[in-house]
Amino acid sequence: MRFAYYPGCSARSTCAELNEATHRVAARLGLDLTQLESATCTGARELRAIDPVGFFTLNLRILALAEREGLPLMTICNTCTLNLLDAHAAFLEDTDLATKVNAALADEGLRYSGRTRISHFLWVLYEDIGLARLRALVVRPLTGLTVAAFYGCHITRPPQRYGFVDSRNNVALERLAELFGCRSIDYSGRTECCGFHTAAADERIAIKLTGAHIKSAKANGAKTMLTPCPLCHTVLDGFQREIEEDMGERLDMPVLHLPQLVGLALGLSPEELRLDRHMVEWQERWE
Amino acid sequence: MNATPVADGDARRLGQTENFDSLVARNTRLAVGDTVTVRVRRFAPEAGAQLQEFKVPYQRAMRVLDALNWIAEQAATDLAYRWFCGSKMCGTCAVRMNGREVLACWEAVEPEMTIEPLRNLPVLRDLVVDRAPFERKVASFEPWIERVAPYAGFPEPLSHKEMKSASKALDCIGCMSCYSACPVIGLGELTRFAGPAPLVQLGQTALDPRNDPAKVARALAQTDIFSCVSCYKCEEVCPAAIPIVTRVIEPLKARAAVLVPAMARHSNVLRRIVAARGRIDPGALVLGVQGLAALRNLPRIWRMLLRGKINPLRTVLGLKTAAAAAARRLLR
Repeated sequence: MRFAYYPGCSARSTCAELNEATHRVAARLGLDLTQLESATCTGARELRAIDPVGFFTLNLRILALAEREGLPLMTICNTCTLNLLDAHAAFLEDTDLATKVNAALADEGLRYSGRTRISHFLWVLYEDIGLARLRALVVRPLTGLTVAAFYGCHITRPPQRYGFVDSRNNVALERLAELFGCRSIDYSGRTECCGFHTAAADERIAIKLTGAHIKSAKANGAKTMLTPCPLCHTVLDGFQREIEEDMGERLDMPVLHLPQLVGLALGLSPEELRLDRHMVEWQERWE
Repeated sequence: MNATPVADGDARRLGQTENFDSLVARNTRLAVGDTVTVRVRRFAPEAGAQLQEFKVPYQRAMRVLDALNWIAEQAATDLAYRWFCGSKMCGTCAVRMNGREVLACWEAVEPEMTIEPLRNLPVLRDLVVDRAPFERKVASFEPWIERVAPYAGFPEPLSHKEMKSASKALDCIGCMSCYSACPVIGLGELTRFAGPAPLVQLGQTALDPRNDPAKVARALAQTDIFSCVSCYKCEEVCPAAIPIVTRVIEPLKARAAVLVPAMARHSNVLRRIVAARGRIDPGALVLGVQGLAALRNLPRIWRMLLRGKINPLRTVLGLKTAAAAAARRLLR
């Protein structure tokens, strides 16, 4: 099963462990990934607000790179996923925009015709690999590990677009965790926002919002949190000391990237999955 | 559980059926003669807050508002709640049902439901909230149009494209569901963020190309609009289906970037970094946005260094990525 692969900026810097883990897990899953080396940033939330044409151009170029390979595109970051989905939709809706972008892409011999399928790793597990195959690949059931799934915003909302329904219905992460033998919990932060997108300018929002989410996960018995988004991970894990200071209590909640949880169940070691790069130390926390 | 790969897009909808999340599914869970258990959060300044439970006989196609009306007529005649049109127009009946903002007049009942007032506004009594904080914010935005150019005569030379965003904002019924759902507003005084409902009201005139830019700039300067975390919670609860983030907040941010550039520092720095390097360097972003103040958190910088999460050499030398050439060309 072949995919063009777009890791995004975060998984190539702050969350480089996510990129490493994804490559290792993909090999176990039989996913053949072609990493798009010349792909730019998708513009996060900032570029799309202040420079829509630049935003669409960068995103459609990434889709054109995948199209040139003749491959569907796999992402591992929520915000990149939504940016690419939005750009793809705008390309199909706005022919003026499509013409303009393709004129800009022509400089390097690229052209987008609107055929790239965009799928996040979480969706690839369900829609391309399938749970039966995934179950067959489990060599180390994570029995007893209690997991709090944290979806993040941009692969669950905006509602009514791209197949998204009421975000509170999300169960994809919980069902996966259960397939690997984990116990999943319900808690108030499941589909809430980590506040990452204002954090470069003002961390207080992220610290306050995410503090409440981690606290709720802990109060409901979670031994680890699980997220499909490196931006959420940066706040949940990277800011956790500041969150603890702000709350005046110890949380000590490890946070797994989704491919790391899959990797553990598929028999990869914590070292291979680079759990040592997390700010909150991972220990074998089940039972 | 599905054993084989599911169809494209289905991973996003897995929980919809098991949560009975559709009008049809909800109505098929109840039949005439069943009982709906309604817990209402009652509040009076003199008595404080408590949940009061009512057993309401289900009627065909029953809405939350029908249940509230039944309670007010049969069980608690002093129940305070607002409604007027009963048909999704007036925007007065928004409440929270089982944790989610809904219009009472447009939401099917669930077999067990907890009805609470909206969040983020003072509760006056039971389900009635005080809209004054919202109204004060909107009034301070001078929410009307002042022309700079003289009236061009009828028909005005305005295209649909120019009015695309403002016209979406004009669908607002002012129900405050989004204001209640906004996590940043939920943080209270931490920011000066105006919140989704006031910004939609502002968008009605600020996104109209006829409006005086100086007046729009004055209003935008009060909004702290870049404190929006882009979580789309507001869109999820909007009964008028306004794309609040993409059609109101982002176009307003774009206006702010032009009219009040200091507000858009984060966005401008990010654009500059992407244009120069192709991808984001987190160190360069934080330094660019916060300046030397970014260095005050030395313990974290040290922790991140230890785990290889930041690379100061890359930040300082401005190392380019394989994507730099394309980004420079496309963002110039």
